[in-house]
Amino acid sequence: MAKSKNTPPRTGVIREYDMNTPGVKAGLAVIYAICIVMVIVSCFPILWVVLAGFKDLKEYMSSTAILPRSFDFSRYIKTWTQLNIVKNYLNSLYVAAGSVVCALLFNGLLAYGLSVLKPKGYKIIHKLVMFSLLMPATISIVPLFMNIQRLNLGGFFTPLWLQCGASAVYVVLFMQFFESIPRSIIEASRIDGCSPLQTFFRIILPLSKPILVVITIFTVNAAWSDFLLPYLVLGNGPWQTVMVRLFIFSTQQTINYDDLMRSVVFSMIPPIILFIVFQRKITQNIVTAGIKG
Amino acid sequence: MNKPVRRLRIPGKGKETLMAWLIMLPGIILFAFFLWGPLLESMRMSLYSTRNVELVEFVWFDNFISVFNKADFIQALINTFSYTFWSLLIGFFLPIFIALLIGETARSKGFFRTAAYIPNILPGLAVIILWTAFFSAEKSGVVNILLGKLGIAPMAYLSHSGYVIPIIILVALDGAGIFKRIRHITFPAIFNLGSTLLILQIISIFQIMYEPMVLTRGGPDNASLSLMLLMWRYAFGGSMDFGKASAVAVIITLILLVFTAVYFVVNRRKTEWE
Repeated sequence: MAKSKNTPPRTGVIREYDMNTPGVKAGLAVIYAICIVMVIVSCFPILWVVLAGFKDLKEYMSSTAILPRSFDFSRYIKTWTQLNIVKNYLNSLYVAAGSVVCALLFNGLLAYGLSVLKPKGYKIIHKLVMFSLLMPATISIVPLFMNIQRLNLGGFFTPLWLQCGASAVYVVLFMQFFESIPRSIIEASRIDGCSPLQTFFRIILPLSKPILVVITIFTVNAAWSDFLLPYLVLGNGPWQTVMVRLFIFSTQQTINYDDLMRSVVFSMIPPIILFIVFQRKITQNIVTAGIKG
Repeated sequence: MNKPVRRLRIPGKGKETLMAWLIMLPGIILFAFFLWGPLLESMRMSLYSTRNVELVEFVWFDNFISVFNKADFIQALINTFSYTFWSLLIGFFLPIFIALLIGETARSKGFFRTAAYIPNILPGLAVIILWTAFFSAEKSGVVNILLGKLGIAPMAYLSHSGYVIPIIILVALDGAGIFKRIRHITFPAIFNLGSTLLILQIISIFQIMYEPMVLTRGGPDNASLSLMLLMWRYAFGGSMDFGKASAVAVIITLILLVFTAVYFVVNRRKTEWE
């Protein structure tokens, strides 16, 4: 279905030679106008929250101006130190790092088995993985939470890390990539005496850098943003992540909105940096990679 | 000559099969623990009465009956379909439309695509909190400030039972997870994938929970309560009634299975034609 069209960048319905017609030109102007509105709608909230962070509580609650009265950075610094957000930041980084390792290793190995080794009976697992694609995990969060409690895994990152090792989307992405690796390379390594596991680590993984990068970016972003299972697992404990902190913060009865807005800004910084650094990778690879997910 | 060779191969092959399964085993265990097991477990649990994390007694369909008999269930069911309806109305065609428009802006395509993509990289929770502030009925509510400049009287949108679901859908579409909705915007061969995108969107919106949870907590008067949020309430909303929560989860799963089955039937018929 998806493989049918892999055309080079298309130029759209309107071609260069249409540009001489005035009607087309006007139409294009409208198109640009709509696109610019879209840019404003999608970027304005970010700008707004950064500006709102410069206000103190009184100004935030009473002023209807979008611009703050002064650009006082000390307010950001105060929230950062008073709420001790560094600790939450570090915890989020631990979660992200462990999640990446689990996501690459476990999903990669499973996909390797399903797409390259294909042992007898692999089709059952393949079907189950495909089924899991359509049945996202949140639905069974209750029994999952109970299992975690029964095994006494609550309170630390372990379940969050391991959960990333069971992602049907990543398995499918890996499988698609592994299937594109020429069989002859894999067979050659076998003839040279590599065990299946050695083939995976020495031949397949080095060839799979593009997909490793994509899955790493996705996992970091997902691990950073997730708050439901982290909330249930980590709660108010010492390993609380930024998102868990923000979630608890936002559901409190009385909220200091100015602190809340500054915390929102803090929670957005790492994903934005990630996006700026890997912008091309993110917007382009998803085009090809995200589609079957 | 032939026979011994074959015999030599068979144990080798068995060993390779074993090796391959061993390689897949860690992944399979994780899938079983995090996805497949809990799904089966929630079916079993829905038939039991529970105390904390312990199953107490097999009660047949009592959990389902008591869930059905509460007014909030019907409300949540209707709301969930309403969410799905609104998400298809605004969330399915609008992104396709915008994607087509972006395709026409030849030279600035990259810029517009990046801009359209930005909300997707932000943490969903942060975006939801932002929109909560935007729609706030306080003086600081940005939507009211902007509409006020157009002469429209301020309003508590999130406390209005008629507006609350479309607004939550807008927020959900804006702050979607990295995977969920950007596909509409970036993928060029949109129409080939129409039906796949449709089913994926229905499935994901049918499980809407974060947005109403943070924006409105299901209010006003359960007007934005979704089935998933109802499940969350049974489990973690104070009563810790995991049996009833599982009953709700099973109901959601069954509805999603019906959707998926319809999708596969329709899709098979389509491929047969082609």
